[in-house]
Amino acid sequence: MSILDAPATGPGSPSPPDALRRTTWRRLWGDRGSRTALVAAALLILIALTAPLLSRLGGWSPTAFDADAIDPYLGGLPHGALGGISAEHWLGVEPVTGRDLFARVVHGAQVSLLIAFAATAIVVATGTAAGIAAGYFGGRVDTVLSRLMDLTMSFPSLIFMIAMMSVAQDVNRVVLMTVVIGVFGWPGIARVVRAEALSLRHREFVEAARACGSGPWRILTRQVLPNISGPVIAYTTLLIPGMISTEAALSFLGVGVRPPTPSWGQMIAEAVAYYETDPMYFIVPSVFLFVAVLAFTVLGDALRDILDPQGGRP
Amino acid sequence: MSRRSRALSVSLSTSLALALLGACSPQGGDDRGPDVRQPGVATGTVIGGTPKRGGTLTVLSNQDFAHLDPARNWVMPTMDFGTRLIYRTLTTFRAAPGKRGSEIVPDLATDLGRSSDGGRTWTFTLKSGLRYEDGTPIRARDIKYNVERSFAPDLAGGPDYAQRYLAGAEGYTGPLDGKHLDSIRTPDDRTIVFSLRGPVAEFSSTVTLPTFSPVPASREKGVQYDLRPFSSGPYRIESYARGKKLVLGRNPHWDAATDPVRKAYPDRIVVIQGLKGGQIDDRIIESAGADASAVEWSDLQPSSVAKVLPKPGIRQRLSAERTGCTDMLALNTSRAPFDDPKLRRAMQYAVDKQAQVTANGGPALNDIATAYLPPSLTGGRAADPVHTGPATGDVKKAEKLLAEAGRGDGFDTTITVSTGDKTRAEALQQSLARVGIRLRIETVDPSVYYDTIGDTANAPDMAISGWCPDYPSAATFLPFVFDGRTIKAKGNQGNVSQFRDKAVERRMDEIAAMPDATAAAKAWNALDREIQRKSPAVPLLWERKPLLVGDNIAGAFGHPSWTGQFDFAVIGLKDPSRSQG
Amino acid sequence: MIAYLIRRILGVAGVLLAICAVTFTIFYLLPADPAAAACGKTCSPERLAEVRHFMGLDQPVWRQFGDYLVGIFAGRELGSGPHAIQCGFPCLGYSYENALPVWDLLMDRLPVSVSLAFGAACLWLVLGLGAGVTAALRKGGLLDRTLMVGAVATASLPVYFTAVMLLYGLVRLTGLLPYPAYVALTDDPFAWAANLLLPWVALALLYAAMYARQSRSSMIETMEQPYIRTARAKGLPARTVVVKHGLRSAMTPVLTLFGMDLGALLAGAVITESIFGIPGVGRLFYDALQRSDQPVVLGVTLLAAFFIVAANVVIDLLYAVVDPRVRN
Repeated sequence: MSILDAPATGPGSPSPPDALRRTTWRRLWGDRGSRTALVAAALLILIALTAPLLSRLGGWSPTAFDADAIDPYLGGLPHGALGGISAEHWLGVEPVTGRDLFARVVHGAQVSLLIAFAATAIVVATGTAAGIAAGYFGGRVDTVLSRLMDLTMSFPSLIFMIAMMSVAQDVNRVVLMTVVIGVFGWPGIARVVRAEALSLRHREFVEAARACGSGPWRILTRQVLPNISGPVIAYTTLLIPGMISTEAALSFLGVGVRPPTPSWGQMIAEAVAYYETDPMYFIVPSVFLFVAVLAFTVLGDALRDILDPQGGRP
Repeated sequence: MSRRSRALSVSLSTSLALALLGACSPQGGDDRGPDVRQPGVATGTVIGGTPKRGGTLTVLSNQDFAHLDPARNWVMPTMDFGTRLIYRTLTTFRAAPGKRGSEIVPDLATDLGRSSDGGRTWTFTLKSGLRYEDGTPIRARDIKYNVERSFAPDLAGGPDYAQRYLAGAEGYTGPLDGKHLDSIRTPDDRTIVFSLRGPVAEFSSTVTLPTFSPVPASREKGVQYDLRPFSSGPYRIESYARGKKLVLGRNPHWDAATDPVRKAYPDRIVVIQGLKGGQIDDRIIESAGADASAVEWSDLQPSSVAKVLPKPGIRQRLSAERTGCTDMLALNTSRAPFDDPKLRRAMQYAVDKQAQVTANGGPALNDIATAYLPPSLTGGRAADPVHTGPATGDVKKAEKLLAEAGRGDGFDTTITVSTGDKTRAEALQQSLARVGIRLRIETVDPSVYYDTIGDTANAPDMAISGWCPDYPSAATFLPFVFDGRTIKAKGNQGNVSQFRDKAVERRMDEIAAMPDATAAAKAWNALDREIQRKSPAVPLLWERKPLLVGDNIAGAFGHPSWTGQFDFAVIGLKDPSRSQG
Repeated sequence: MIAYLIRRILGVAGVLLAICAVTFTIFYLLPADPAAAACGKTCSPERLAEVRHFMGLDQPVWRQFGDYLVGIFAGRELGSGPHAIQCGFPCLGYSYENALPVWDLLMDRLPVSVSLAFGAACLWLVLGLGAGVTAALRKGGLLDRTLMVGAVATASLPVYFTAVMLLYGLVRLTGLLPYPAYVALTDDPFAWAANLLLPWVALALLYAAMYARQSRSSMIETMEQPYIRTARAKGLPARTVVVKHGLRSAMTPVLTLFGMDLGALLAGAVITESIFGIPGVGRLFYDALQRSDQPVVLGVTLLAAFFIVAANVVIDLLYAVVDPRVRN
């Protein structure tokens, strides 16, 4: 599970005690809501990982046209009811091209989740590093980093992301999108981490380690990081739905990944016009997007309640 | 869920497409008949009968006008709107559906102009009693002034025929610096004389362009003139909030007696901009309240086709006139792989044009193109194709040609399209894969599309590009698209194929100098076939322009000279009292 | 207090300058050439050079940036001689596409976006805070659970999905509302509201859901504070405890959030405006991108940054008035 190997607790740092991990798991699994969310999230990740396999099972590649499945005389609307759902096309087809919706939506999961997770990783890595540095070292480092956080938060992020995405032409869109989304997300988590690190700085065990002659790097990785990993994990999970939504929004506005790569936001953008003439085309990717955002939100809420019962709220 | 077999569906579509073109006799039966799914209004019919005077006509649009300034107006539907409503030109197109709409008639001028000096000098006389919106007279020097304006670098974007045709125009940068062109003379207020670089047989048609409309020097506002052109036509601008709303009211000084073309039925014309395409379709289909008196500015969305075609009552409010443009797949002839004519000819058979039709809105809104010149330039009939075969392509023939060119195993190639043509590029990718050609698609934003494919050093192997004639003459088509001397290192548009052929260029010059228009037309047609054999581009589609009108609209027809947009000179309302709202 | 105010305003100027510089640099790297777009279908290299010169694109980037900054405060003249265009204070550049100064375009569209943002904000504050506080006071109860499940679900729906569903239900199927189109408040207040109701609801639902969650947790946290327990123990009426002591401090984090959200929305809700075809700043921005009208893109970005920063300052000042400790 990607939640538990988030880069914040990267190589070299000890994992949270086994006991905590076990209670966390027990409490997550014990609640019906978070259990459902966990299963849904796991399923979506599984779908994303096995997308090529799944679409081969369905018999269609996400880019293959099927001229027989659509009616060119009606603007390319699918033949048959419910957007052309049939034994051949499990979730129907895309109007005009006749491409298989099932194949596209599972490949879309791949793109959407990949970008969301990668952007989250960037945000968490940068945010945690900046937050610890600001909180632990204080002084000038804190001033500079805090100003930088203020500045980043003052950027009209969505507008800026759209502008940046439309400026860049000859770049890998997935990488660019990940970076652009990541660049604007870090101050939130940095503030949370900073507050935690600030309070840890003068705690006895940190003072003790310092007295024993441990260097700052050792103290940061051995003492501070493990103690803030709880809030970081909770916050990370809560970041994911926002990232999924942002990716979808950018793709929806037409500045996302390039075709023929499918992504949910892009599929919805194309389907919006068909909400009346081919509602299934609109509903299928919307449901996937909805479930993904919902599952990670519920999961994040539950993790926060367990790992960080008070505070740590952005 | 019954699915038609592939073979049947292919033969149906093919026969229908060919029957539409009249290029080939229909083959095989058509079980439902084209009438069921065709637009209600075919070429040459008028929707809603003759309008009554008065009321408010609403135009619903998803965009703003590119430029209303007559020196800068060179985008097709905007040219229609400007020259039919706000400003008049020396000559103009007849306000009639079908072929008659391509005829040129005098507008500000008393006749179609008199040429002398073997077509190098053209003289026009203005009618008497012509007035601007403030009652001041329209003078010949005002037309000269606007032609000069079109040279100013800050007033860029307009038709460049004045730059191409006028003598002594090199290096001229417009009248704002106080310099004027000697090649336009205005001996008195009603006479204007153009001296041209070489003979131009069709100059009467050239002066239909908005460049040849009057702008008084006293009204000059530089780039700001775009916001409020001074009216010489039947309407004047009452208000214009860019991207939101334009309101036109009657110009009290426009005299119908001087204007045989424009009828100016509505009292007011309101253009609402920035709306959502699909919502415009829905509003006009419903035709509730003021929407009954509304017409579409932008095309019917493909997603709305299913709401219109199956319903006879709505279908008869759909106009789908041919745009008169040809949509082509340009092959970059400047380097491998498409420097090899054999390979280019293989492409003529490898491309599935039927799939292009489907991806572009279906057979109701597209005809398959079989030549470069659109039928409107070849006497209404498609020119005889050089490369014949089924519309889905001829895989065997393509493979044979590929093998002859030593590319039997196929090859890798690239195409760049604007994001709107994404589906079409994907359809192309699919059809080329049948003969082993591996196509990589690059999509770019529409705003930078022409910059991207116009950068000749970095141009892709292929691009989808179209060309529309400015008036019904092949001289406004073939030289723009296939003359190698027009190629520019950057900003290259038109000759996207970078096609250079001395013989073709020589022939173009010869035809352009022909004084007899009929002989010239025939010669252009023959040249089209000649170029097809050299195959610098694959003709793909002749598109139609699908536009809906509200049920209170009368006198609406797609005008062939305005790429199938409604002729705003004669459109109006059935019952003006219903339009209040 | 005055010293604090000056410090804050200087900080704001610094932030805006930084945003301006970053945005300008990014757009300077833009491969699309606005001069080529302005020059039209067939444009000779000489003519293109003339257009570039006229638009000032042949200057080095630092020079263009300098001119731009000066223009904001002093206005500027674009081009020279008889072609010159006056762009008065505050000159945020000139849109050659629209033949208007960017400032005029922004001021023309701003009322639309402000109408959209304030209407939606009123709705979501009422809905969101109402639901959040109600849920908090009945923590663990059926109403709490229902409200929170509803909030999580609504917050997970993308605004474009909600918008389309509302459009279908309220306009297409039932005809209860007109197709959204902007009517100025001063022209016809009733039509103004009727036309904007749909976008208001679509936008407000998303925010209301987020605010319900935020205000609920904030309220619960506050109600567990010792001083609330003391107030209760003193025998104060429940109503007084909740409204006077609980709400006031629970709303502090919500207010901060509100300032940021409203600030960002004032400069245009790009998605909502583009779905409903409302001619606000967001739509202007989107159209400008499509036409590579860089001055407008830059102008909207700056306006949006200004609103966000300004909202922050206003909120901070409000805190400073209430709590003197903040001033240091």
